Amino acid sequence: MMSSVRLKPLNWHPYIAPVELSEATPEQLDAMKVTPSAKKVSDYVRTLAHDPESYLARTILFNAIMYVEGGLARPDRELGALGASMVNGCKFCAVVHARRHAELTKSDDVVTALYFDRPETLGSRDAAIYSFARRLSVTPPEATADDIAALRSVGMDDIEIIDLIHAISIFGWANRLMHVLGHAESGKEAACRSRAHTGCLQ
Amino acid sequence: MIDAMDKAAGLSPDDGLFTSRRFRPEFVQGAEECRLSVLQPTNDQGLVPDLRAALARRMAGLNADQVLMAEYDTQMVGLGSTEQLRALAHGATELDEPLATIARHVDLITLTPSRAEAKHITLLADAGLNNPQIVALSELIAFVNFQTRVAAGLRLLRSA
Repeated sequence: MMSSVRLKPLNWHPYIAPVELSEATPEQLDAMKVTPSAKKVSDYVRTLAHDPESYLARTILFNAIMYVEGGLARPDRELGALGASMVNGCKFCAVVHARRHAELTKSDDVVTALYFDRPETLGSRDAAIYSFARRLSVTPPEATADDIAALRSVGMDDIEIIDLIHAISIFGWANRLMHVLGHAESGKEAACRSRAHTGCLQ
Repeated sequence: MIDAMDKAAGLSPDDGLFTSRRFRPEFVQGAEECRLSVLQPTNDQGLVPDLRAALARRMAGLNADQVLMAEYDTQMVGLGSTEQLRALAHGATELDEPLATIARHVDLITLTPSRAEAKHITLLADAGLNNPQIVALSELIAFVNFQTRVAAGLRLLRSA
């Protein structure tokens, strides 16, 4: 019996200066969906707003892939996102989607198995999804017909597999923004940094 | 109507998967809008379409995607690319700046995104890229890695 992994949300800090709302163009404001009542737009959104056209197009596609009704169950999409984020090394994305998976399934079991590198303890459906996510995410992709056969053997139809392919692939995109344009740190690390001169044990 | 993703995945209207893909019109239209936003944007931020096509061809090569390599080669012919861009597209490392720095970055983020660090963004800035160009380049890299994975997955599903 493993104890559960405890994952706290991370903070994300960009490597480049985000767009300041006071200096944003109308196109940037529109892409960020900034309304007169909006007080705070995240650093991530303001960083991507440097190129509003691609930001807007990707946001629409991302939301459809992760939240559209029907088809693949939400936890399965989150598991695909998590597998991709682990391969691509995006700690921030991995924590967000691990926590979401745990919330949706009301269980830490899958997330714990993955963070403690014990994928052999997964059930057959989760194992098939996670393995496919990893093998499709490496460059060049290593997924084969065996992966599709494994997904079908646990009862997934073509519509669900298409949804899964998109959930994994959109994190091949998102991870390459979030982990490339900035870095993640925990609240504890930030507190240590601010107290750097007084010493702080990790 | 056949779109770029159908072409990349080898789908024709006779395929069952062509129809299954249309169960998600949001994905079909969304992927096409994204493709246009990074390869033929209205505002290219100074990263011109022939450079973008050349980088996409280079990344299709890193992903060993023969169909997309051929597709981007065709697009480059249409755009009348220079010798430098053709070299960039086909994986050369001996390039003029800022192309050499951009190529190293594209290779790193495509092959091993987990290794990305702050210094890699500094290198792009030192090579003369401004913030909008750094973001636009990042989105292009990210898109092609999305596109190659969707295409690879659909091809597997079609033939399985």
